[in-house]
Amino acid sequence: MTEEKKDIYFKIFRFNPEVDQHPFYDDFKISVEKGVTILRAINYIKDHVDSTLTYRFYCQAGICGSCSMRVNGVSKLACTTQVWDELPNCKETDVITIEPMNNFEIIRDMVVEYTPVISKLEKYISWVTPKIKQQDLGKKEHIISEAEFKVYDAATDCILCGACYSECSMMTSSREYISPLGLLKAYRMVKDSRDTRSNDRMKVLNEDHGMWDCTHCYRCVEACVKKIPIMDAIQGVRNEAFLRGMKNSEGYRHAYAFTQDIKSVGRLKESTIAVRTKGIFGAISMLPFALKMLGRNRMPKVFVHTIPGIKHVKRIFQKIK
Amino acid sequence: MQPYDIIIVGAGGGGMYAAMEALQTNPKLKIAVVSKVYPTRSHTSAAQGGVNAALANRHKDDTIDLHIFDTIKGSDYLADQDAATILCEMAPYVVRELENLGAPFSRLEDGTIAQRPFGGAQKYRCCYCADRTGHTILTTLFEQCLRQGVHFLSEYYLLSLEHDGQKAQGVVVMNMQTGKIEALPARSVILATGGYAKMYWQKSSNAAGSTGDGIAAALRAGLAVEDMEFVQFHPTGLRKSGLLISEGARGEGGYLVNNKGERFMKTYAPEKMELGPRDLVSRSIEIEINEGRGFDSDAGQYMHLDLRHLGADLILERLPQIRMLAIDFEGVDPIKEPIPIRPTAHYSMGGIDANNDGATAIQGIYAVGECSCISVHGANRLGGNSLLDILVFGKLAGRHAAQLAPSLNPGAISTSAVEKSLKEIEGYSHHDRTERYGELRDELGKTLGANAGIYRTKKKLEKGVEDIMAIKERFKNVRVNDSSAVFNTNLFQVLELKNMIALAETVARGALAREESRGSHSREDFPVRDDEKWHKHSIFHMNEKGDITLSTKPVTMGKYPLQARTY
Repeated sequence: MTEEKKDIYFKIFRFNPEVDQHPFYDDFKISVEKGVTILRAINYIKDHVDSTLTYRFYCQAGICGSCSMRVNGVSKLACTTQVWDELPNCKETDVITIEPMNNFEIIRDMVVEYTPVISKLEKYISWVTPKIKQQDLGKKEHIISEAEFKVYDAATDCILCGACYSECSMMTSSREYISPLGLLKAYRMVKDSRDTRSNDRMKVLNEDHGMWDCTHCYRCVEACVKKIPIMDAIQGVRNEAFLRGMKNSEGYRHAYAFTQDIKSVGRLKESTIAVRTKGIFGAISMLPFALKMLGRNRMPKVFVHTIPGIKHVKRIFQKIK
Repeated sequence: MQPYDIIIVGAGGGGMYAAMEALQTNPKLKIAVVSKVYPTRSHTSAAQGGVNAALANRHKDDTIDLHIFDTIKGSDYLADQDAATILCEMAPYVVRELENLGAPFSRLEDGTIAQRPFGGAQKYRCCYCADRTGHTILTTLFEQCLRQGVHFLSEYYLLSLEHDGQKAQGVVVMNMQTGKIEALPARSVILATGGYAKMYWQKSSNAAGSTGDGIAAALRAGLAVEDMEFVQFHPTGLRKSGLLISEGARGEGGYLVNNKGERFMKTYAPEKMELGPRDLVSRSIEIEINEGRGFDSDAGQYMHLDLRHLGADLILERLPQIRMLAIDFEGVDPIKEPIPIRPTAHYSMGGIDANNDGATAIQGIYAVGECSCISVHGANRLGGNSLLDILVFGKLAGRHAAQLAPSLNPGAISTSAVEKSLKEIEGYSHHDRTERYGELRDELGKTLGANAGIYRTKKKLEKGVEDIMAIKERFKNVRVNDSSAVFNTNLFQVLELKNMIALAETVARGALAREESRGSHSREDFPVRDDEKWHKHSIFHMNEKGDITLSTKPVTMGKYPLQARTY
């Protein structure tokens, strides 16, 4: 039985800072069999058509995380993505677009500068600092319950491919943001009973660009090549902050004000949320923004009505409690 | 430039364990880990099944001695018994240390590290993190290196290894992002650059970069390499891609089935069945296929690995990654259908000749892990012993180098070493050159697969040597088409090919010389083990003209005498 074959066009991002002033796209037409991955297709192009095409790849089995790139606009691993599966995602019929990941500096073509990811792992103490003294390492294993293991098991799947980093909407507005994979790692470490530096880590997470900046767009969860529930981890570190009574942050105050509003009237009292989150002085700094909203007649109401179903909302809160 | 105390080439498990241990031993040392990929990309990440250590968590009667014996028997008595003893004695220690440092090992109900059965082992001894043990161990080591502030030079390519005939001088590398060639002087160099099984290219489970760079550099620098003819074929590569399905799949109870629906391993290893050692299972599959009991496909003949009887829950919990591999690369869900598999080149037992500290004949130069031959795996490595090898000898070499380095005073790397590399690299882009990289690479893979594969004969191997020599000649005319200094992957591919060709010659010549069958090396014309003539290691040198010379060295024996090897 021979496999189905088809002519596919690859529209590939090109940029070599040595010679190109601006990025551009190259088009390649190749005949592709069903069952071929994106990586094998671009390897074919590199071997037979244009050997200057530049991208990273290594294990070719979805475990090393080297070959992440945007395929039809979405960050994924080239080695585990089937060409056939991408055809429905093509804007133009049978034209697959290949581009570097977002939110990274481009070194050449699909190769991006990866060092910021590692700097973030360092900043947020993304390792276990063992309880056991150096000279006693290796003598005895910890007893870890199935229940504890399950909490961080999924997070240890992360291969640092950077797909979440590339898709994150918060990263796009600030490259200083910890990033989804940073939060995932932080959560994995915070929940590990073998680690001793949770307090320090939580302190850094509580600062600007840390755990409170996520906007819950869920794009990281959609992009994760290992299907890790990253948002659970992000909520997880925030919960940890509540449990530890870390009230001294905008993020905490924002979340607290939010919950109080829903509990009391069933909706957000938007006009005062800035004051309650940022304090009087912080809120004053937002005045120009408020005036702009006023100018466009988008100023939220000062007095809000309680929603009709508030009884039920209160019951939900009771139940959670 | 002030010399580094230690330069470690390779950021896999062996290299990072060495870095960590060296800094623990002496925190004042100036150490760098040089790697052609970011550390977590290293091929250690692809190890799936686990790491052996006689913790006796599952089988209370397991002992270090049993582990030693299994390793030596598995090696077909070619392992050096003192080295195998160190490997197994240190195993519980390194596994526990990794656990202490945060490695997320799967757990038994009592909360201790879980263990599963593995090929060629008498007891349940293989510690695992689901089926991504290598990935989690590599990640843990990277995290610990960050904790200790290890200095990484990521995306630097090794061009040459430098010494003055007695002592290490350092390495010459290329910064891949800028194309700049740099001499990095060092009091000691630890090579942890991985194996060479990618030379089989289309028929290999290895990462694209498992091209034996460190071994080839050592060979060119005049060091001895050992037992190169021993290349392990893993029985269960995926039919189309050669990617690996872990031995863990059989460890958990998977069946190997031929086109008659029979579990054919009953013919070859009636006792251990699917859990025979890898060399034996791979040979059995070849025989079944040759005798017409394989399944047919465009991608060649194959067998079935059937996991369906294990049930969805077990597959999802303990073998999630291999399930995804089967779905992504074969379109087969192992919960519902058998996985199509065939043997694939997987691991190279041969490597740089090194002693039990990883030290070579040149003071200050070390080799650990798959690029070394210490030798703990002999003619066939047991599943679960490769992660163990990198951990144990990474640690020992790191410690030894840290203790020795301050006393070494290396001479400077000569400017001619840098110029030589520069000239070679400039030469590749000369417009007279016509040979294509991809073509030579594919031809090398094909001839190795056909002539130096699982079953070998004099005739095939002579053809193999002839082909390789022809490819070596054609390589002199290979062209790098990319002229950019920035991340020139075309250039690195060509440099890797040069290494594969050099090592392929040692594989084929070693296999041709060894007129016996031992472990992974099976000669149809010499089907039995010949202890009288061949119970010895093969040693390879490269002379100044670039020719390979062969000699031998005795095997270090211990308390286990030579025995017939049956399972």
